[in-house]
Amino acid sequence: MSKLYSLLFLLACLGSTFTVTAQNRISISGIVRDASNGETLIGASVGIVETGAGTITNEYGFFTINTERKSDSITVEVSYIGFLPTTRRISAEKDIKLDLTLGNNDQLLEEVVITGNTVREAVQSTQMSVENISMLEAKVLPAFFGEVDIIKTLQLKPGISSGSEGSSGLFVRGGSNDQNLIVLDEALVYNANHLFGLFSVFNSDAIKDVKIYKGGFPAQYSGRLSSVLDVRLKEGNNQKFSGSGGIGLISSRLTLEGPIQKNKSSFIVSGRRTYIDLITNQINKANEDNPDFNKIPGYNFYDLNTKVNFKLGEKDVLYLSGYFGRDVFGFNSDLFNFDFNWGNTTGTARWNHIYNSRWFSNTTVTFSDYQYNISNSITGFKFSVGSNIKDINLKHDIYFSPNPNHEVKAGISGTHHRFVVGRLKAGSDDGLVSFSAGQDLTAVEYGAYISDDWQITPALKAHVGMRLSGFSSDGANYLSPEPRLALRYLLTEKLAIKASYARMSQFVHLVSNSAISLPTDVWYPSTKNVKPQTSDQVALGWSWELGKDFVFTNEYYYKWLGNQIDFKDHAQLFANNNLEGEFTFGNGFAYGTELSIEKNFGRLTGWIGYTLALIKRGNFADIMGGRFFSPRHDRRHDVSVVAMYEVNRWLTVTATWVYGSGDLTWLPGGRGLFQDIPGGTSTPVFPIYGDRNTFRVPDYHRMDVGIVIKFFPKWGENDLTISVYNVYDRRNAYFLYLEPQYSQDFGEDGPPPGAVPNGIAAKQVSLFPILPSFTWNFKF
Amino acid sequence: MNIKYISAALLIIIISLSACNLEKQIEIVLPAYESQPVVECYLEPGKAFRLLLSKSNSYFDPIPSDDLLPYLEALLISNADVRIRYGSEEVILNNQVTVDFETGKFYNYSASAIVPENFSDGFELEIILPDGKLITANTKLLPVVPIDSISIEKNANNKARCLVYIKDSPDEENYYRRMLHNGSFLDSFPQQDFITDDKLIENNIFVFGTGYNYDPGDTLYNTIFHIDKEYSDFLTSIQGAISSNGNPFAQPGVIITNLKGNANAIGIFTGLSYDRVMSVIP
Repeated sequence: MSKLYSLLFLLACLGSTFTVTAQNRISISGIVRDASNGETLIGASVGIVETGAGTITNEYGFFTINTERKSDSITVEVSYIGFLPTTRRISAEKDIKLDLTLGNNDQLLEEVVITGNTVREAVQSTQMSVENISMLEAKVLPAFFGEVDIIKTLQLKPGISSGSEGSSGLFVRGGSNDQNLIVLDEALVYNANHLFGLFSVFNSDAIKDVKIYKGGFPAQYSGRLSSVLDVRLKEGNNQKFSGSGGIGLISSRLTLEGPIQKNKSSFIVSGRRTYIDLITNQINKANEDNPDFNKIPGYNFYDLNTKVNFKLGEKDVLYLSGYFGRDVFGFNSDLFNFDFNWGNTTGTARWNHIYNSRWFSNTTVTFSDYQYNISNSITGFKFSVGSNIKDINLKHDIYFSPNPNHEVKAGISGTHHRFVVGRLKAGSDDGLVSFSAGQDLTAVEYGAYISDDWQITPALKAHVGMRLSGFSSDGANYLSPEPRLALRYLLTEKLAIKASYARMSQFVHLVSNSAISLPTDVWYPSTKNVKPQTSDQVALGWSWELGKDFVFTNEYYYKWLGNQIDFKDHAQLFANNNLEGEFTFGNGFAYGTELSIEKNFGRLTGWIGYTLALIKRGNFADIMGGRFFSPRHDRRHDVSVVAMYEVNRWLTVTATWVYGSGDLTWLPGGRGLFQDIPGGTSTPVFPIYGDRNTFRVPDYHRMDVGIVIKFFPKWGENDLTISVYNVYDRRNAYFLYLEPQYSQDFGEDGPPPGAVPNGIAAKQVSLFPILPSFTWNFKF
Repeated sequence: MNIKYISAALLIIIISLSACNLEKQIEIVLPAYESQPVVECYLEPGKAFRLLLSKSNSYFDPIPSDDLLPYLEALLISNADVRIRYGSEEVILNNQVTVDFETGKFYNYSASAIVPENFSDGFELEIILPDGKLITANTKLLPVVPIDSISIEKNANNKARCLVYIKDSPDEENYYRRMLHNGSFLDSFPQQDFITDDKLIENNIFVFGTGYNYDPGDTLYNTIFHIDKEYSDFLTSIQGAISSNGNPFAQPGVIITNLKGNANAIGIFTGLSYDRVMSVIP
């Protein structure tokens, strides 16, 4: 800590030197907000008209500009897509703190807002491999079952895939689903899914900003190899009480927000709940007297987001936010009393402090908890199993602008992890029979970083950073230096070439053998035997502003993956006291190219993305003799086309089309004769699996369409959103299986012992046909 | 019309749509597959030495259901040199088909020699295939773990469940295979058949139970095999390979075998030690 501040002090001295030698300079800093509700605006452009100096607001809405003073006054210009640009002429006699507000751009309502970044900024930023989506964008696009899902919207971006049909998984540039750092208001979310991966935990009504980094990671991020998904919650309307919500096919939502003290403090509460169980309960009740009726298990999920903020003075703001979500599954009968629930809890306390026009700090304490619990009881016996990961994190970040050419960020963080891995308890009520399993582990993860956005020449800009990440657990200590570098060179004002390198380390690992995210997946720390996973990614690309509406981006990347964790064949990952014994370690690589062309302005907006990629893993002692293989999510080609057309103020139509090479699957190559098949089978034959993932399922493609019809009653506005998922009813493969064929139909009982099949057929199972959905949304 | 009815109507629409045929047969071409020898050999004290030596084939190879015998004959590997050694004894298994009418299993190599009782040292299998390639394996006979007690309990509807207790030795790592047949253990599928171990047990007592599924007069055959880790791994891998076909959440895997040598063989060479108790539901 002291070394960090020493370094910053040196930089401050450096800045002072500039100040002393350039007395005609001035610093302007402040926070940019939405005038209608007081929300801070992330990524708003702030510029000085007279000098051309400019910047964008950071994730807290804060900006600082150090510029030359050419006269007694200067003109500050602020812009943000969807808002009317504002200019303010201010005195330039001394450094000034200037909070700015932007009003909605009512004159240009027909334009669909795409992103907080302007086209120019997307080209000129050093940051590459980043994707932004706005909630407006996510809300108008066709939604699966009518549930707006930011992760499914992100899956439409190049380099990001879902892993399987309908899933809210994230597979980014060859990474696995567990290699994504997902943070909600800076608190880590371990399992970002509901309903076995079909929906994400993020309630779109409560979200302000979503950004995903696929590479070129800024130095403040670490802990996962492949991506960083940074989700920021709204702060709450500090101008007036307002609400929004919606009634959908499977869930309803309600958000209320308003000032606690106008302009000084506000709150937001947002909830969502599914009601499938309410319907199935009615069906069960109606069939209570039917002896042939099989009771339908009850299932629901819900989310609750809350946030309050308090402006403690001109320089201090305190934010408190939390998330609580659960999936609840229950099945009770005469024989069983089965309960299964899982979910995340997060909490964030954040203090923003502005020291002066050049210094800004953010101090955050976060809490994260993910757990699942299964319990069952049968007469005389009980069974329970669960896992839990609980984190408490403290971090402190400072933002410092010593002179116009440097924007320095630095910070430290520490996290205490507590893992309860596969805690099982089973036995008879009388205590005669008893089973137990589980491990309790603790770990400490820490890091320090410093980075500088350095304007070397007008054309050349660099982001130079260094992070030191460490981890201690079970007597093992790891220290990982993680250099970060990003370069941007402007060939013209509208054409930039960019390059980046980032090393990431991952100390906490998901123990899962399934292609989809399951609630029973557990997280396991690095130990003496389980080394941290690492990735080194280089990327090279170029961004080109075409006219005033389009941005063309093309990136090439290569990623080396070290200490990758996989699992031995038939690994026992459930209720195992020696989980590490099931791990096997190797490495891998991924490379590819991504192209996208985006249109951000006008009635028609959207993008076309294409990804060409290859992924390999190998050198696992227990897999294929160490030979390299492709993981299931090795998708060679991936195309997405997204279009949104605002016909008029009342009507918007949208469409998406995706195409991807079929995922890989592992099918048996041979079959053998064996008379003592465990579990009993009509045919004494077992499948023989050879090399992994050698068969590619048929290509995937699907089109979704949506219509948003808006109404503007006196009390506010509302809309009817109609989505049609898989509009041309494409039967995409969810999985394949091989089935013996018999010359006669044996019905539900299946073939009797000794029945001889006359062949084997390959069957493809699809998950979703054409699925229309309707959601009514309101806002007041 | 209130929102409950609207939601119910929409749910019916979804269920109707989901009832669309989402499964179809497709043509696929699997990668080329090279046949491997498959060995199934159990040493059961008091019974003759016998072994089934066959070869695997491509998963999609046709099965002539109308004339099965030539097909099965083609699967068997003949003219191999098969020997089992234990202590100072060597048993040569001749290439002849025998059937065990008690279990319904058949073998294409057997000897008249009987597997000794209570032989605690190792057995060694050696097979020299007609092409000269070698298969070897080693195993031991484990002691029988007896069924300690069986408890039949009934509920208010006069339905019975069966609880089977065994005592586990705390000094060693033990593996078990539990089977439950109703009616007959030969001509019916087992109602339970799974592999377990004693790693999680706390007070050395295992219980294997059932639901309240049985009526008076039902005959239950409870069998507890005491198996070694190699056989447990083999059975687990067979079970895993079978169950992962058709389960999108499961990960397939290769068959874990205790056969060695240069023939790339799969299969199992193991002793069989079990206790079986028949119970009639009163």
